[in-house]
Amino acid sequence: MSKGIVLFAHNNRQIDYVRMAILAAKLANKNLDVPVSLVTDPSTIDWAKESGIEKIMGDTFDKIIITQRPAEGSKIKNYFDGNNRTPAPFINGNRFSVWDHTPYDRTLMIDTDYLTLTNNLSDYWDADEDLLISPRYNDIQGKERTGYLDTHISETGIEMLWATTVMFTKNETTKVFFDLVEHIKTKYKMYSDVYRFNPLLFRNDIAFSIAKHIMNGYQNIDEYALPDIFSTADRDILVDVKDGKLKFLIAQNNGDNYVATSVANKDVHVMNKFSIMRNYDKLMELAQ
Amino acid sequence: MQEQLDKALEFANYRQSFAIQRKTLKEKVDAKLTYGFNGGIFKIDRSLLNFVEMLIAKGRTENVVLLDVNDNPISIENLESFRDEVFDRYFTATFEYLEEYQKIKKARSVETLLEV
Repeated sequence: MSKGIVLFAHNNRQIDYVRMAILAAKLANKNLDVPVSLVTDPSTIDWAKESGIEKIMGDTFDKIIITQRPAEGSKIKNYFDGNNRTPAPFINGNRFSVWDHTPYDRTLMIDTDYLTLTNNLSDYWDADEDLLISPRYNDIQGKERTGYLDTHISETGIEMLWATTVMFTKNETTKVFFDLVEHIKTKYKMYSDVYRFNPLLFRNDIAFSIAKHIMNGYQNIDEYALPDIFSTADRDILVDVKDGKLKFLIAQNNGDNYVATSVANKDVHVMNKFSIMRNYDKLMELAQ
Repeated sequence: MQEQLDKALEFANYRQSFAIQRKTLKEKVDAKLTYGFNGGIFKIDRSLLNFVEMLIAKGRTENVVLLDVNDNPISIENLESFRDEVFDRYFTATFEYLEEYQKIKKARSVETLLEV
């Protein structure tokens, strides 16, 4: 059975997702020792050529799969960098297509801001479960900063799964699951009425959570899951990378006070994409 | 009074950094004590180590069924090699835990904590 990782990268004018994907891929390839493929679109590829990273893309990715760019619509998200806010289109509405695009029998799909710094996920390749998703957000500061909407899709809704890491075997069952995610995306407004969540911005986490809820017979089932998503929020700032340590300033309770901490040898989801880009070269050294 | 207050705030900052470092370290060790084997996922803890060792002491070394984290039955063909692997992972993880925990305990300022 072939194993590999798939990343999605669709650039917007503010964030170079494809460069982040190169970093995420190199770290994952080094620590999990499996090939990594990229799903992207023609305009992102054009930008990669223009910015001179085409060769490193070729060296990094096992396969580069070019697909249609998902429609942006009016989906504007606020990307935070500490207290600075940058509105930009959120182009990630085609994750359901991973089943069709993946060249592997067993696939791990990760976000481009998920930095794989250990081989912990290797223990899940052979888990006897067709589909594994992380069931929990694990905030670096702790529960004080974890709100109800980090754990549930709405105030009255079902528990939230985190599509930051998803592992699946390509078979008929998972085909049904990803088709269902696509259906939920298409009928997002209708599902928001049924499941009582805010439909303004499409979130894969919500669509994946609903699809899993439906596929599990509308109930919670004890099943294998990927580890919690250890995360730093977008208001946190990655200030330096030195001697294998990522040094962060953590916005205490998402306020204006910052607490310093460091992370080493632990997979980490860094939501502040701007701070990843500021420390890009140092982070790339971790992948050597 | 201002100086005392500054010192208290500095200590509060240190304690917050310390708490985050300790939480992160504990979770790092927990992740290392998760073991995927033959389709199952095992949490390597004292209960698993003791049970495996007891089975081996009773001469049950081949084709044993163990229940994993989800209480799913997992067949273990060679229990001794399974035991060696879980013991190895346990000792590696806990020694690292001890080493790093001592470092963060000794670090008495935010600056030194960040270097741990």
